Amino acid sequence: MEYKDYYAVLGVPKTADADAIKKAYRKLVRKYHPDVSKEADADVRTKELNEAYGVLGDAEKRAAYDELGSAQYRQPEGGGFRPPPDWGSGFESADGGADSDFFKDLFAHVGGGRRHGFAMRGDDTHAVIEIALADAYHGASRTIGLRVPQADEHGRVVTRERTLDVTIPKGVTEGQQLRLAGQGQPGSGGAAAGDLYLEIRFAEDRRYRVEGRDVYQTVPVAPWEAALGAGIEVATPSGRVSVTVPPDSQGGRKLRLKGRGIPGTAAAPAGDLYLLLEIALPPANTPQAKALYEQMARDLKFDPRRGL
Amino acid sequence: MTGELPIRAVPLDETALTLDELAQACAVEPGWVVQRVRTGILLGGTEAAPEAWRFTSVDLVRARSLLRVERDFDANDEVAALVVDLTEEVRRLRRRLRAAGLKST
Repeated sequence: MEYKDYYAVLGVPKTADADAIKKAYRKLVRKYHPDVSKEADADVRTKELNEAYGVLGDAEKRAAYDELGSAQYRQPEGGGFRPPPDWGSGFESADGGADSDFFKDLFAHVGGGRRHGFAMRGDDTHAVIEIALADAYHGASRTIGLRVPQADEHGRVVTRERTLDVTIPKGVTEGQQLRLAGQGQPGSGGAAAGDLYLEIRFAEDRRYRVEGRDVYQTVPVAPWEAALGAGIEVATPSGRVSVTVPPDSQGGRKLRLKGRGIPGTAAAPAGDLYLLLEIALPPANTPQAKALYEQMARDLKFDPRRGL
Repeated sequence: MTGELPIRAVPLDETALTLDELAQACAVEPGWVVQRVRTGILLGGTEAAPEAWRFTSVDLVRARSLLRVERDFDANDEVAALVVDLTEEVRRLRRRLRAAGLKST
């Protein structure tokens, strides 16, 4: 087992008092908070911080961790680390930040051990799944990998890799929680397993922007299509559609395609698709094109800055 | 694929969680949830009886965010509610900026 230095994670010396540990944790957790952080690895850092604080912020766990970190349990070759067999008895089970194997192997079994003889439902677990916007339109199947703690024959908890085939129904939206009943942590004493919650995130797609069930898409049109009106074909998340551009359209005009956003569910109606017209100018890179622009300049008497 | 039958993921907004299920999903005692519903932080302070409470995705995300702020910063429930309200507002505005084609970081 690889030893994790929780003091280094929080950037505090081993002699730091409880107040200093709390301050360091709060400072860093604020820095890496997913809603404010600009760091690329904010998610990972936040998990590490929670894990480290889960141990060092608890006097009892910290004492046990310090004992484990002492030379007595370090293995000479390869810097490995082996906890004593009865390690951790009397401590609470892990909460939060428990994605690390190190953390789970050290702490997760303790709660299970204390519950010996009692039937207790397994904990619910939470994960994030990233899908393409098209998956929200059509539904999708995904195979997801999970690390699940499980008791071995000595009653210790070891983490086991597990894969699940999941069908994601159509009509899901960003931030929505999906519930997979009975796929959380196993229960003890014959009790039911917990549930797994998956939070939906859409993969970045430069073509589309999503707000709730409404989808926004920028569509380039030629000046004559905008001016004269035109029937155009547009590739949308639900397939190609024919759209009428009304005459005298300006850039930024919004065309609403009702019900062509993310499909509806029993709980919510379908969203709309908004096409935002963007007028694309042909380049004046041939004598003929130049002549056409010059003719427009002469004949149209058009001042785009009138009224400024 | 693993060869097992695919497991159907159910959107929470179709089934919704009961009080006990939300407490379980957040790893808290039901009393923690009850107190925050009674003070209006969750479910908009509904007057309904706890047996009738139903929590959706938004409530679950909000409850877990509240819990995190309370734990991380030793915040009381009202301060945590204010932080979560502001965070939700920032997210909403960022979504609108993105929908309008304006980049937000």
